[in-house]
Amino acid sequence: MSYKKTRLIYIIILLFIIVCSSVNGQVKGRCKDCHTMHYSYEGEEVTYGNQKGPFPVLTKGGCIGCHGQNPSGTENIVVIGKTRIPQVLHNMENGDLAGGNFYYVADGYNPDYTKGHNVKGISLQEYPPKNVPPGFIGGILIPGGTNPSYWPSTQQLSCAGTYGCHGNRTIENPYKSIYGAHHEKDTIIDGETVGKSYRFLFGIVGKEHEDWEYQATNSNHNGYKGSNHYDSINTISYLCGECHAKFHAHPNLGGINAVSLNGITWTGHPADVGFDFVHGGFVGSEYQGYTTYNLEAPVAFENPTGKEKIIDENSIVMCLSCHKAHASNYLHILRWDYSKISTETPGQGCLICHTKKVGK
Amino acid sequence: MKGFYLLICCILVMFLSLNLKSEGAIVSDDCEACHAIYPGMMEEVALAKSKYKYLLDDSLCVDCHSSSDNATIKILGGIKVPIVHNTLPPVKQLAGGNFYYVTKDDRKGHNLGRIVSMDKKFKGFPPGYDRKADLSTIGYNPEKPLTCSGSNGCHGNRNVANPFEAIRGSHHAKDKPIDGTTTAKSYRFLKGVKGYEDDEWNQNASAKKHNEYTSDIDKLCANCHGKFYKKDFTGEQSPWFAHPTDIFLPDKGEYAKYLKYDPDVPVARQKVFSSPSEEVKPGEDKVTCLSCHVAHGSQYDSLLRWDYDNIYAHEGNKKGCLMCHTRKQD
Repeated sequence: MSYKKTRLIYIIILLFIIVCSSVNGQVKGRCKDCHTMHYSYEGEEVTYGNQKGPFPVLTKGGCIGCHGQNPSGTENIVVIGKTRIPQVLHNMENGDLAGGNFYYVADGYNPDYTKGHNVKGISLQEYPPKNVPPGFIGGILIPGGTNPSYWPSTQQLSCAGTYGCHGNRTIENPYKSIYGAHHEKDTIIDGETVGKSYRFLFGIVGKEHEDWEYQATNSNHNGYKGSNHYDSINTISYLCGECHAKFHAHPNLGGINAVSLNGITWTGHPADVGFDFVHGGFVGSEYQGYTTYNLEAPVAFENPTGKEKIIDENSIVMCLSCHKAHASNYLHILRWDYSKISTETPGQGCLICHTKKVGK
Repeated sequence: MKGFYLLICCILVMFLSLNLKSEGAIVSDDCEACHAIYPGMMEEVALAKSKYKYLLDDSLCVDCHSSSDNATIKILGGIKVPIVHNTLPPVKQLAGGNFYYVTKDDRKGHNLGRIVSMDKKFKGFPPGYDRKADLSTIGYNPEKPLTCSGSNGCHGNRNVANPFEAIRGSHHAKDKPIDGTTTAKSYRFLKGVKGYEDDEWNQNASAKKHNEYTSDIDKLCANCHGKFYKKDFTGEQSPWFAHPTDIFLPDKGEYAKYLKYDPDVPVARQKVFSSPSEEVKPGEDKVTCLSCHVAHGSQYDSLLRWDYDNIYAHEGNKKGCLMCHTRKQD
């Protein structure tokens, strides 16, 4: 075979791979797998899990009906036809996806509200004072507009919308806020639309692992967007800061004084701070000891690819370095049991970054 | 000269025939063509026992509009008769579909009592029935079978229980204009419904030649399936809770691309058209029950116009749901 022919075949294969991988996020398959036209099948109402409809956008069970199809089941990714649906509420052992698992806080399944976000439809509203997001600041800049001026005390967290995380948070109705995103071409995650935002978190960018980090490796994982300079609002930590503003040093949010004394001594753990930003510099710091990407303490990057294996001065600490988004098996949605992290547990929890605290 | 007179006579006969057919009424004086095609139909009964001279009931509708072959239009007494029930698989079925399918599967058609037994799943209750939405003064009676017309049917006057009486005389009455004022002057004898009737009942439908519907047809469906029509069930606007009907096809987004009429996905017009239009006007035309369903029976579950099990999003399909939901074609 001539060189030209071989090269042509390689190019075709490469194009095929690019095309196949680039449309992964757009839901494919039968309409009926996700939608019911009249909330009726053979004369009976179509209920899903514990949810009773009819449901917005003609969905079979709304967000949770699709993404929490069987809370006691053991599937973390449900496959229906050509559609693969990540489950945020399930009981699969070692199957928690990147965002965690609402199973730990789900009513009816021995919930512990300290372990996760209390999302409407899964848990009851959290008790005061945590009925409003800790650190909330009203009226701050968010992608597409501003936060509500305050969080009503009876307003429960929802999956999407103004009082949720996903979708366009300037739109209160959760379903309107995410409307159409599942059908949008998301070849490029640029945050311009909900569909083209990282995990439909409007305005946030990043690289999405194709299995939502199930069986992810240290070189194939979600790629989280971070920013070392507090000059962008498209980082995953900024999204957290939209509700927990006082924990983030971005000037739009809590500001540097919210987490530090004069920008030097931290009073709260920083997020969106790079290892090269540490006091005294990266070289010689304990963070230099964190060398290989660890799924237990992920870091963000300015331009994430999801393939980063090397941790260096360009790596950025983020909220998700310590926490999960939905719920975890630990207090405060942490990735580990903070009460058991000590200097005698090297390579675990906090000590994955704080490598010099080992053995002291 | 004799030939000239013969020609004049022929032209007159043709003119009269066309003129009478355009009225839509049955013009043949061959009464027996319709009234005596089946044994017993012309048997006289004592007037004291019946309001009618002849033993006629719902079976007349079915017997006349059925065929033992697969043709969907038959000629009876020189008149074209639309077939709604073939005993063989219909070829080029008409706009309302065909009751052939419900004889094979309950889910594929309305269980007309004269053709099949009561639906095993619904047991006589129309899905989504809401008495408040049923405009009939009598209301649907689930204890009795579905009939072609009358209060337990669709055609004729639904304020009349007897199916024959409900439509009696309509075939012989003046039926123009179709303004819904009488059963005869209603679209397909669906009393109160306005529309434009294709002269072949959509047998050879195309973008340019087809029935034209109005929203009246949705209101008719709502008599028996009111829950699916009510806004407190479907929602007032997007995001809908159930598929809406009798709403304007949005003139923005993916819907704005449905511009050429497809008889497989019809829309309803705001006013009665005097002739069919091949144009769909998002923002002006409406989504109707018949956009997705047929009235009598289809080869698909829920009387759908297409196999919902095989409508795929984002896989290059362009038909079915995706005719309106064009964004999911790509």
